[in-house]
Amino acid sequence: MSKILTTNKYFVVTFILAIILGGMTYGNLPGVEPAAPVLVVDGETFNFADYGTVTHEQVAIFNYLTTLFDQPTGDWDGWYIEPQYYGLFHYVLAFMAYSLAMYYETTPGYRTDYYSDVSSGLIEKFNTSYADYGEDSIEYMEWMYASLYLNWTEYYYPDAVNPDADDIYTGGFRGPANIMWTAHYALMELLHERNFNSAIYNDEIDYYMEDWNMSMTTDGFGNPQEGGIWETGMIPCEPYEVWTQCTCVPIYMTELYDNMYGTDYMPIWDFGLDFMNTVMQDQNGLFVDGYFVQEPIGTWFTQPTEGPQQQFPGNRLSPYRSDGKFRSRGYGVAWTLAFLEYTQPEETITDYPVFIENYGKELSGTQMYMVESMYDTGRFGTFDYLASLFTLALAKQRGDFSTRDRIANFMFEPYNKVWSADGREMHYDTSSATAFLQTSVAYAELWANTPTTMVDLADARPAAFWDYPYISAADDENVWVYRAEWDPVKEGFVLSIQVDTAATLTFSNFDSAPSAYSGGVVLSALTAAGMDYTLDLAPGTYHLVIK
Amino acid sequence: MSEEVSKKSILEKFQMNSSDAIVWTLLYTLIGIVLFILVSQIPMGYLMVDLFPFGLLPALAIIPAMGAIRGPVAGFLTGYLGTVLFDFLIYGAVVTMTLPALGYGLLGFIAGLATYDLSNGRSLIKLTILSVVGFVFTLLIIVAVGLTVESYATLVVLGFVMLPLVTSGLPTIILLTPVYARIYHLLIHSVIPRIRPE
Repeated sequence: MSKILTTNKYFVVTFILAIILGGMTYGNLPGVEPAAPVLVVDGETFNFADYGTVTHEQVAIFNYLTTLFDQPTGDWDGWYIEPQYYGLFHYVLAFMAYSLAMYYETTPGYRTDYYSDVSSGLIEKFNTSYADYGEDSIEYMEWMYASLYLNWTEYYYPDAVNPDADDIYTGGFRGPANIMWTAHYALMELLHERNFNSAIYNDEIDYYMEDWNMSMTTDGFGNPQEGGIWETGMIPCEPYEVWTQCTCVPIYMTELYDNMYGTDYMPIWDFGLDFMNTVMQDQNGLFVDGYFVQEPIGTWFTQPTEGPQQQFPGNRLSPYRSDGKFRSRGYGVAWTLAFLEYTQPEETITDYPVFIENYGKELSGTQMYMVESMYDTGRFGTFDYLASLFTLALAKQRGDFSTRDRIANFMFEPYNKVWSADGREMHYDTSSATAFLQTSVAYAELWANTPTTMVDLADARPAAFWDYPYISAADDENVWVYRAEWDPVKEGFVLSIQVDTAATLTFSNFDSAPSAYSGGVVLSALTAAGMDYTLDLAPGTYHLVIK
Repeated sequence: MSEEVSKKSILEKFQMNSSDAIVWTLLYTLIGIVLFILVSQIPMGYLMVDLFPFGLLPALAIIPAMGAIRGPVAGFLTGYLGTVLFDFLIYGAVVTMTLPALGYGLLGFIAGLATYDLSNGRSLIKLTILSVVGFVFTLLIIVAVGLTVESYATLVVLGFVMLPLVTSGLPTIILLTPVYARIYHLLIHSVIPRIRPE
């Protein structure tokens, strides 16, 4: 032994140091996927890999996100909002809602208040008004703060400078020209109805649907007008400018609305879709970022000092070029392609590889990121990050998991995973960059890696879905639900669950007393409780078929 | 005559001086590439301290170790082809015309330029030093390709490319390269002869 040590001193030292360093830095490993057994029950084969699955880490991230709602509606503890992020913050809420909708859809048979309360809590926070919550409101952060220098509240169309009775007012927070709030709000509500069938938001959803119908088919005063109020078939985010990424949200919502309620509103977007696909295109055939419907008022907008001048109306020119090229932005293209794939799949399928080719930056085989602008790749900032964030869901939707994984490596690896003391919650500690990212990086994990896409969510659930057996109540704080889905063909409820401490699940909609099968044999018969049935589980991990 | 000697010594140094030697070098290269790809797929832990990721990248040290074991050609091909094939097979990616992979090839090439007695501590220190020199060239090539050919932001080069390589790659090169080389030597000269049937 001593000979080995004396003749291999350097080897021994490096070996020990490697073990010490490895031991000290061992963390942040990827989570483990739940097992996917194959069970045969009553002659039916249930392959658990065929059903939607959320991972242990994803459940822990959801548990973390729930903590952001354990506070009054107007409080923002743990959200790390600073004034420089006011303009972006409502998007954090909106895309958190869409990510959570993907998460809920992955385990559609688990619909307790634990899930629906977060969904409605998001909508409440998104709808906070200045009158009720002052500067802590989304109305202030999204609209009024920017209006201090962008004059949004003063707009009329088409004449913002000397408006008369022929000009329609477009400057309200909930008005027709703030689609960057109204569309997200209505879509968040509609996705809640799609996922939980609560009927509590139906009136507001109908109001916005009818409002867009009027905006897109009339001049705003009730007179029919092709292309609607702004003659583009699109709705502005900021009163003077329409954007493809903003208008694709009400288009997407209209698809879902028609699918859920059997209406036929989609033709109101024909003009706008054609406008986006023909006028708002750059030299690569990708969507242009913005189109001015009128000249902005005030002094904030300045014409380029050289090259072609900005036209009104007209596509916004790139600030990085002086040759008249239009402004395209990675985040906008990714967002639009993802949201419009349901409506016009051929456009997304064609544009996607062009987008990746032009906006993707290769860091290594394992990492890449997306840039905000093809014309200004020398800087890296918030919008490059956003371009990467939006591309995560687009790449997943397109089945390009290699790109999805490489961007995910770029986005998640720079941050430590932080688990709560009880092991129930997890988030990424983004404080080395900015704490503001913490919530976004958390839901980005669901946005990127749940098996559900925005295309999936655009389809309504079948009417019979609401009669399928589901978990209506549970000791949510004691369990980890990885799979929960009624198979209507095999007539069995597939459940993968980890139970920390003894827990009871309540199932609704079973016609007769079901039994829980584990490994093909009966584990337990469920107990009748009024119209429902309960299942008591001791600590452990279970893969069950309940029928 | 001196030119002939010089040519011969280079071929010898490259372990390419006979058909047998070439076959062995290519065989070692193949083993190195397969090991590199397999080890690269093992999820490794790491720790972020502010913006600095600390940890070990065990696959990286295979490259200079292979250079030390079978010469610069084997080292170069292990680094270059190992990286290219890993990127392509696992992620379907061909990164910037495989130019960054050249940097990893250079790591193995430089480490393989010297002759080592892998049972000797001083020789292992020499291997470590040459591996670090090779790794510095790797960094330079990757950064230069990123800034010029791929043309991404300086902040990204520094924060997302160079920093992780320095804080995780450098400790790996320093600590694991001599460990791998010494383990190889023990296997070849002590373990395998003992278990080989008479």
